[in-house]
Amino acid sequence: MEPSMDRTGNSSETLLERLGLAGLVARVRELEVPSDGLTWNRFCGSLLFVLVVLLFLSGAFLAFYYTPAPGVAYDSVDHAQFNIPFGDVVRGIHYYGWNLLLVVMGLHLVRAFLVGGYKPPREFVWVSGVVVMLVVPAFIITGDLLPWDQKGYWSTQVRNSIMATVPVLGDFLVRMLQGGPRTGIVALTRFYVLHTIILPALLVFLIGAHLHLLSHRGLSSPLTGANTARKRVPLVPNMINRWLVLFIAVTVILGLVSWYWPAPLGDPADPTDSTFVPKPEWWVLPLNQLVAIFRGPLTAIATAIVPAALVGLIMALPFIDRSKEQHPSRRKKILLLGSAIAVILLALAVMGYIEHHLTPLE
Amino acid sequence: MIRKNLVSLTMVFALIFGGGLLGCDQLGGEAQLIITATHVHKAPTSLDDSVWQKALGVLVRVKGRDILGGQEDTVFTKAVYTEDNLYFLFQWMDPTRSVTKQSWQFDGEKWVHLPGNEDRIALLFEIARINKFATKGCAVTCHSPPDEDRERWKLATKTPAEKGDLWHWKAARSDPYNYADDAWLTVAGRPSGSYRETGRIKDRGEGGDVRNQTEDKARPRFMQNPAKDPLVPGFLLMDEAVIITDYSIFKPGDIIPYRLPKKPSGSRFDVKALSHYSDIGWTVMLYRKLDTGHDDDVIFNPKKRYSFAMAVFDNSGADHSKATTPLLLVFER
Repeated sequence: MEPSMDRTGNSSETLLERLGLAGLVARVRELEVPSDGLTWNRFCGSLLFVLVVLLFLSGAFLAFYYTPAPGVAYDSVDHAQFNIPFGDVVRGIHYYGWNLLLVVMGLHLVRAFLVGGYKPPREFVWVSGVVVMLVVPAFIITGDLLPWDQKGYWSTQVRNSIMATVPVLGDFLVRMLQGGPRTGIVALTRFYVLHTIILPALLVFLIGAHLHLLSHRGLSSPLTGANTARKRVPLVPNMINRWLVLFIAVTVILGLVSWYWPAPLGDPADPTDSTFVPKPEWWVLPLNQLVAIFRGPLTAIATAIVPAALVGLIMALPFIDRSKEQHPSRRKKILLLGSAIAVILLALAVMGYIEHHLTPLE
Repeated sequence: MIRKNLVSLTMVFALIFGGGLLGCDQLGGEAQLIITATHVHKAPTSLDDSVWQKALGVLVRVKGRDILGGQEDTVFTKAVYTEDNLYFLFQWMDPTRSVTKQSWQFDGEKWVHLPGNEDRIALLFEIARINKFATKGCAVTCHSPPDEDRERWKLATKTPAEKGDLWHWKAARSDPYNYADDAWLTVAGRPSGSYRETGRIKDRGEGGDVRNQTEDKARPRFMQNPAKDPLVPGFLLMDEAVIITDYSIFKPGDIIPYRLPKKPSGSRFDVKALSHYSDIGWTVMLYRKLDTGHDDDVIFNPKKRYSFAMAVFDNSGADHSKATTPLLLVFER
């Protein structure tokens, strides 16, 4: 149909109509979400969403100044952090943001586990969420090398050596990541491309899939009154406004933390200085301790078998616990199993913390 | 009830993970010695100012090299900073006060150089990052034996992009004017006027010293202006020197300094100093603006950490020193 015109020949269409977006905007405005999608006791998902946006924005800022070449990489990060106005705050937000992301992701998983959020019909919401969780450590591992400081460089060496012990695929993966026998300019470029292009694209796709499944299958039901109809509110502006408030609050809090405790930037990497002993990050302590326990020919148990079994168990949870019971008091066996695994991981983390952070170097 | 329990459980997890997060060591297992500059509101004005009690002292080990190989000492080091300035306090053992550098002595017939040199302390920071300085320290930048091949000469950086900031307190040549000679390091190949070609370049401005010798290097050229009282007793400052016109006034045993400190100015005069020698050693305070505004100086940003190295020289005019491994300067906030 031809667009209508007034007597002066101007189109009476709105700009959105001219751009062909009017229908899309109308559909978005009609979208409704459960009003308890972001409340004081259900905030992890929204907080994760906000943190991912914050990490993308702060990462884009850092990328403006970053040069992925050994040596220069360090100087570029140093420049961005200390010479650019509020550079230290933005890098701090990026640094503390992913730490917080890991914590909130853990809480999100624990909450979904406790309230039976993986129960039918939401099995694939759970599975897609677990897949998202698996991608996040890859961001941290690739991002850790980018400043090209001692900690990042030597942590990468340790991780590569651990990865190389994975049966069959280990050596190949390390070669693919490093692009050669050493962690040099090719490795840094690959880590940079992974961190800023491939992994973000993958994460956006996976989050999209998670949200699609969530919208299709709905939020997990409250433990009380599961069958009562839930109040719904428009996505625009109600939920968007709540997200915006959360975004501002998180930005301010992380910004203040970054202002008072700047993100660490160690000494420039020196590949000839093998005396540097990197300490494992808090989130990798259980795995690191497993590697310390299973040595030599048993290393694959720590680096491949146990992690793969744990991930497999978590992912398969909806298909293992097939009862329709959602209330924790009626799911004691599965909660006991989950608690046992959590206690073991916590114990390994404490052991690792004592060994790596409290025991003086010999 | 159940909802409250879930929230409580969530909070417990948050505390556990959060505690782990806050408790985690941020910088890994480096073995570098850290000098923490304590923030103070009132600047120290003397070596025994009570402000220094607020700073944490660190015993820094210095090791000898070359002819001093195997020898070790310590330098007790403190640092404080205000909004504008950074202050260091160094104390090290030195049983002999060496503040005259090859003075002239008249033996009745001719002038001869007396043995003797000066005590010194030198600090090196990075203006622009020096490759591997943070992990190797002076080993990548400082002195080498005089017979070393030119390609292996030190006191220089390997590329023009790397720049060092050298603070050099000299008991004979800079201390009389209460400063540490400020220089910077770049690639070798630029004559610095010292005993051989290095990458050491003096900061802009005046300073240093003048060799007190006639053209034939046989006798001193200057003496204390008899019309002026010495500003610093025991030293002959260039500003107070006059050309000797009549050498017959000297009697056997008379001593005249050989190196005459010049009045410092400009960027070369950025690092101020106070010092005191007691029977057991030196106490030296060096202080400088955090940002001098000069491109030949390191800018101190209290949010950053700075690698640096230090060397002490005992009655030495050459590169015979005891030096530290790389140190780390951090600012308490």
